[in-house]
Amino acid sequence: MRTRIASAPGLVLVLVVSTLFCAFSLWAYVRADGDGDLSYARARDDALGAARTHVARLSSMDGTHVAEGLRKWRESATGPLRDELERTRGKSAEVLKEEGTTTRGTVTDAAVTQLDERAGTAKVIAMVRVAVEPRRGEATTDRKRFEAGLARTADGWRLTSLQAVPAKAN
Amino acid sequence: MTDEAEARLPEQHPGEPEPEAAPAPARRWRRWSTLAPSLLSAVLLLASTLLTVLTAGLHDSPAAGNKALTDTAATDRVTGEIRSALGRILSYSPDSLAATERDAKTLLRGQAAKEYDALLASVRQRVTDQGLTLTTQVVRIGVSHLSGDTARLLAFLDQTTRRDGEKATAVPAQLSVTAELDGGHWRITKLKAR
Repeated sequence: MRTRIASAPGLVLVLVVSTLFCAFSLWAYVRADGDGDLSYARARDDALGAARTHVARLSSMDGTHVAEGLRKWRESATGPLRDELERTRGKSAEVLKEEGTTTRGTVTDAAVTQLDERAGTAKVIAMVRVAVEPRRGEATTDRKRFEAGLARTADGWRLTSLQAVPAKAN
Repeated sequence: MTDEAEARLPEQHPGEPEPEAAPAPARRWRRWSTLAPSLLSAVLLLASTLLTVLTAGLHDSPAAGNKALTDTAATDRVTGEIRSALGRILSYSPDSLAATERDAKTLLRGQAAKEYDALLASVRQRVTDQGLTLTTQVVRIGVSHLSGDTARLLAFLDQTTRRDGEKATAVPAQLSVTAELDGGHWRITKLKAR
């Protein structure tokens, strides 16, 4: 009984302190996790990462596997862009097979210019270097600048539009 | 808890309802009354440590460190200043060349300043001899990274060149820009053509 009398206040104190500490840690974690800025920042990085992947994919085509390439294009798109790709599917396949050109796009730099986290939409500008290998003739490198619209889907961010930004005519 | 201690207890506290020989269930209860709070405390402390580590992870994530777009005011400020800086240093005419160079001295730093000087040296002759005019307009600009006093941006430019008596032509150009905050103003430290 001596042991019990000696240790009881100590034990109670340790228990109270650890309970308080745990409650505080939980509160701090919940607060950090629900931080609006942090979730916005995550959405921004997710959108940018997705834009880089999908813009590169839509700038690439294996001239010997056109159907497969077009399927990848459609998978990178949603909404209006996907509808358009679906609509032009047959014609695109014909033209691309005829040409047989292989292109490989690499995004060299990109930035998010607009992000509406609640609506799940974003706008990204991206610079792409495209290696072009025609069936005949010499390989060339092309540079393209794009503005892409994105929307969040159940499978992550996908492109709703992809437009080249031309130099304004004077 | 020793047998000796238990045996002596009833004598010291005659009023306690403890049975004299402390049967097995009471002993077990006493052992648990020490063990359970200790275990609970250990579990709570472990959970606290885990939560603290997770919280630190959230705060230190690359997403949290990058204020591009999350800090709207700072983002607008850096895009506005770099947009204007690029327009100024990449626009010149025979009459404004000196002013452009003066602007560049304040707006550019480090590597960007050195490269710009070399670039300008190579066109200076043509600017005066051929009446060469360059006008640069930033058509799109975005911040990819912003933290404290450094920023990275991507800018799409339209550059219009005009020579005396010739028609103007606009060409697209793109720059990855690194900028540093110096004395309350953003200065370009690195330029990379894309």
